[in-house]
Amino acid sequence: MKVKKKSSVQEDSVKEEKKQKGKMKIPEAKEEQQRQEEVDSDSVYDSGAENESSPSNLEDMSDGEGSDSEDYPSIRDTDSEDEESGSSGNEGDLNTSGNDGLAIDHGNEDESDSSGLHEEVEESDSSEDEVAPRNTIGAVPLEWYRDEKHIGYDITGKKIKKKEKEDKLQSFLASADDSKNWRKFSDEYNDEEVELTKEDMKTINRLLKGKAPHGEFDPYAPYVDWFKWDDSNHPLSNAPEPKRRFIPSKSESKLVKRLVLAIRKGLIKPKKDEEEEEESVYPLWGDDSNSTEKDGNHLSYIPAPKPKLPGYEESFNPPLEFIPTQEEIDAYQLMYEEDRPKFIPKRFTSMRSIPAYENAVKECFERCLDLYLCPRVRKKRINIDPESLKPKLPSRKDLKPYPVKCYLEYRGHKDAVTSVSTEVSGQWIASGSLDGTVRIWEVATGRCLKLWEIGEAVTYVTWNPNPEYSILAVSAGQDVLLLNIGFGNEEVQKKTKELLCAETPSTPDDTGESTFVSWIQDETHEGTRLRHFKTVSSVEWHRKGDYLSTVVPADILFRVLSQKSTQTFSIKLGGIAVTSIFHPVRSHFFISTKKTIRQYDLVKGKQIRKLETGLKEISSIAVHPSGDHIIVGSREGKFCWFDMDLSTKKPYLIRQWHKKDINNVSFHRLCPLFATCSDDCTVQVSYGMVYSDLNQNPLIVPLEILRGHASSGGRGVMDCKFHPRQPWLFTAGADSVIRLYCH
Amino acid sequence: MDIDDGAGDRRSRFASSRSCRTFPSKFPTPPIPANYSRLDLSKVRSTALLKPFDFCLCLANPDWESEPFDFLINGVLVRMSLGQFLFRNGISAEKTLEIEYIRAVVPRKEEDPCLHDDWVSAVDGSSPGFILTGCYDGLGRVWEAGTCTHLLEGHSEPVTSVSIINPGGGESFSVATASKDRTLRLWKFNTEDPTNNPLRITAYKILHGHGAAVQSVAAQTSGNMVCSGSWDSTINLWQTDEPDSEGADVSIKKRKTAGEAKESQLEGEAVSSLVGHTQCVSSVKWPEREIIYSTSWDHSIRKWDVDTGKDILNIPCSKALNCLDIGGEGSALVAAGGSDPILRIWDPRRPGTSAPIGQFSSHTSWVTACKWHESSWFHILSASYDGKVMLWDMRTIWPLFVIDSHKDNKVLCVDWWKGDSVVSGGADTKLCISSGVSVQ
Repeated sequence: MKVKKKSSVQEDSVKEEKKQKGKMKIPEAKEEQQRQEEVDSDSVYDSGAENESSPSNLEDMSDGEGSDSEDYPSIRDTDSEDEESGSSGNEGDLNTSGNDGLAIDHGNEDESDSSGLHEEVEESDSSEDEVAPRNTIGAVPLEWYRDEKHIGYDITGKKIKKKEKEDKLQSFLASADDSKNWRKFSDEYNDEEVELTKEDMKTINRLLKGKAPHGEFDPYAPYVDWFKWDDSNHPLSNAPEPKRRFIPSKSESKLVKRLVLAIRKGLIKPKKDEEEEEESVYPLWGDDSNSTEKDGNHLSYIPAPKPKLPGYEESFNPPLEFIPTQEEIDAYQLMYEEDRPKFIPKRFTSMRSIPAYENAVKECFERCLDLYLCPRVRKKRINIDPESLKPKLPSRKDLKPYPVKCYLEYRGHKDAVTSVSTEVSGQWIASGSLDGTVRIWEVATGRCLKLWEIGEAVTYVTWNPNPEYSILAVSAGQDVLLLNIGFGNEEVQKKTKELLCAETPSTPDDTGESTFVSWIQDETHEGTRLRHFKTVSSVEWHRKGDYLSTVVPADILFRVLSQKSTQTFSIKLGGIAVTSIFHPVRSHFFISTKKTIRQYDLVKGKQIRKLETGLKEISSIAVHPSGDHIIVGSREGKFCWFDMDLSTKKPYLIRQWHKKDINNVSFHRLCPLFATCSDDCTVQVSYGMVYSDLNQNPLIVPLEILRGHASSGGRGVMDCKFHPRQPWLFTAGADSVIRLYCH
Repeated sequence: MDIDDGAGDRRSRFASSRSCRTFPSKFPTPPIPANYSRLDLSKVRSTALLKPFDFCLCLANPDWESEPFDFLINGVLVRMSLGQFLFRNGISAEKTLEIEYIRAVVPRKEEDPCLHDDWVSAVDGSSPGFILTGCYDGLGRVWEAGTCTHLLEGHSEPVTSVSIINPGGGESFSVATASKDRTLRLWKFNTEDPTNNPLRITAYKILHGHGAAVQSVAAQTSGNMVCSGSWDSTINLWQTDEPDSEGADVSIKKRKTAGEAKESQLEGEAVSSLVGHTQCVSSVKWPEREIIYSTSWDHSIRKWDVDTGKDILNIPCSKALNCLDIGGEGSALVAAGGSDPILRIWDPRRPGTSAPIGQFSSHTSWVTACKWHESSWFHILSASYDGKVMLWDMRTIWPLFVIDSHKDNKVLCVDWWKGDSVVSGGADTKLCISSGVSVQ
């Protein structure tokens, strides 16, 4: 066993010396080989990492480097002796000898070193870590040899016999006696008992501690520079240390500046800790739809609608209360297809008796069609309550009274009634018709009191607004007739007669001057006839009842009844004048052409305002009793409301309330009502509240569509006028009827 | 079981001895028209529950049985089957029900209409001897037994209203007429005058003062004044002072013969004027000595104190009003109709409210005239532009009967005559008389 010990020590030392004294390896290996043979016989051998070289390798090496080994036999012997004497001092000796004998040995040693190094590399490849086991069976399970008498074969192919097994008791006793038993273990592969030496234990301990396996190895040995600084008195270059070594780098500072700037601008963002961003938990049962909402712009996953979970009634054997009776099933047949229940529960006694699902193929096919034709698309549903889009208007109930129902009809005209006009007190109305008659009706009873045969189709009638006169202006063809109605007391009659008396000497002068119009006493109708050269389209009274404006295409004429004089209104209009109307309060005058409305100051004689309606053709205008608002009806059925307080020329409101031409518009004198009548046989009554507060816009609420007139010759309702005191509306229809709509 | 068919108290009662629950079941009550169920009850009343004597009488006289009755339960007229009635009024069928019966109010006879030359605008039947009418031809007419006896000539415009100043005046009557010619005229005539042709008479007094058409005239019940409402929105009071003595009469006659009628006529000025209405005063009534009621197109009913000339009461209404009458319970209810098809009844004695206590809305057009029965508290007539005259009972919301003799022509005026006849005039120029209306 001591031999073994020595050999192991030798091996250690060999390892140590390997790198520096490679040339001495080979003879040692040879020795080892010899020793191995001895060990084989003794059947005592180190296992594991200790066995460095296999016999085959050693042989190869000896063959390959035979010459080398022969060259240095003597040296080898001496070295081996040295090692035996004490491996500890070996290295130090070599080093010191190397250092000491500098000049002499140098050349030889160079050569030897180079060759030695070369060998070393080869050796490490082949033989390091390799163990030369006694047994050669390889890595087969040892159980295979359990029942054999041998444990395997040695390198020569001979069987290695098993050792005699000691019985357990004996071995136990032996182990108990042996104090070194803890260092022993059995190597089953080689079938031998190995005892670790103290050195082995130290090595193992050192390895366990993570140190170098050999205690002699000094990891912190002073560095020995192998280059020999012969001219070490002089540096390689004589250049002084450059200045840049001592000052901060400019390029670096530039780079830092650039980075700082970029960070400040936000071009570079400091890296965040990725761990923080990652959520540690995620909503396993969370709603998928919510997560898709987040990235709105991209195509996102749209979850399929969740089907209703089946309930009891879908069971093959549902409880009895779910099963409909035959009557109920019959009742289903009477229901609408949509209301019918999709599934009628049935009861089966067992799963076996359930028939195949009859719609399976069909539904499959439909599902395929769905998938093919109807890719699911996210519908952006607009979540707006349609009620909220409606303008907030007051309830119609709160805006009463307004005309609602027709109770009275004034029948008697033979042709379309073109115009109605109400007397100031509201007791009478006058109407003109295409049959050439003018009629006066009693409002309360509907009785026709008076009748004038004019002879020509009457286009317009207006009652003198001054209650001191009872004059009706009638326009028929090219004439305007001023008729004395004959109502009122003696004083009224006297005044009226005075006014209508045409036998003033100025009459011929006027006709001579203007040549537009002539004042003729009309004997048959007890009135005055004003003859024009063109058809009169509109006649309007001034509120004082003394002035009368007539609109002849391209001209507007003013009459002063008391003076029997006529003035033409000589102002350039953009087009043909359609209607004119006096301002109800001020001495202003509105003229409408087909597209625009102009407001003139009669006293100063200049234009105040021009309103652009944006309509194609104006048919009628009406002025609010306050004079600050104008409503306009057009031939395309549109209606405009102008607020004169607003500085714009544009209308405050435009509405298309009618499908056909608006024939007339009218304001109520007292109530906040106005009406538009149209050829589509309807009259639209609306609420138009005007506030004295300038900041508050007029409130316009459509109230009622009055029907009842029949269409005749394409014309519907020709005229509408409010009762001056009641919230009643008179409508003149092309069906030759005048209707009174009451509240 | 107390049945009394006596003429004195017609409002007898009969109550079934058993619970009334059997009553509807005894007489089948599938959805029956209202009158049918009444007829049923009438038959019951006529046959089963009659005294034997009456029963025999009714068997003997087949016409008797056809006399209809009206039945009242808790003061409400039964207008449907009893089952429905009980259900509607929430009356338990378990209780013993007392059913009052009254003779049904229906016109039995349509007399020959009195033909006019123009629309009949006003009628007054307060005198049992004759009927006074006003016409759109400007004439007032006095009708006796279907013939025109007197023509009141003088107005130049349609007569709008007439009123008999002394209805119970024996033979000599004075009447007032209002016209659109802004005047009122007072007339005097004697019904005893033998007439073959209508006697033309002229007014003895012309009342000037209104600035516009006079719409209505009413005479003080017992006095010598008339009031008139006009389009100039005032109510004028006039003195109907008769000519001082016979001498004046003589002088008129003399002058009439002399052909200077105009000068002979007295001209009157308004005694006083009640100002307050803002629009046409459409109707005035003078039910008591000191109180005048008026309606106007300014949507109000006013009650005036004649002495002070102030309005005591102002009932607002949402519509323009055309007609007015005072009567009913305690002669205090105000009935008015206007520019809508509803006849409304107000009780001015009710404090703090101006809501009508009753509304009758079976008409389809404006109500032009209304008239309470002079003795009954429940019955009121109404005329409308839809050509119908309806009689209403305050105890039910349906009309008792509808007179349709004007055939869709506007009915302008209606009145009671002799307590059992309805006279109405309209745009068909006829004065229709329906008699035999047995209002108690």
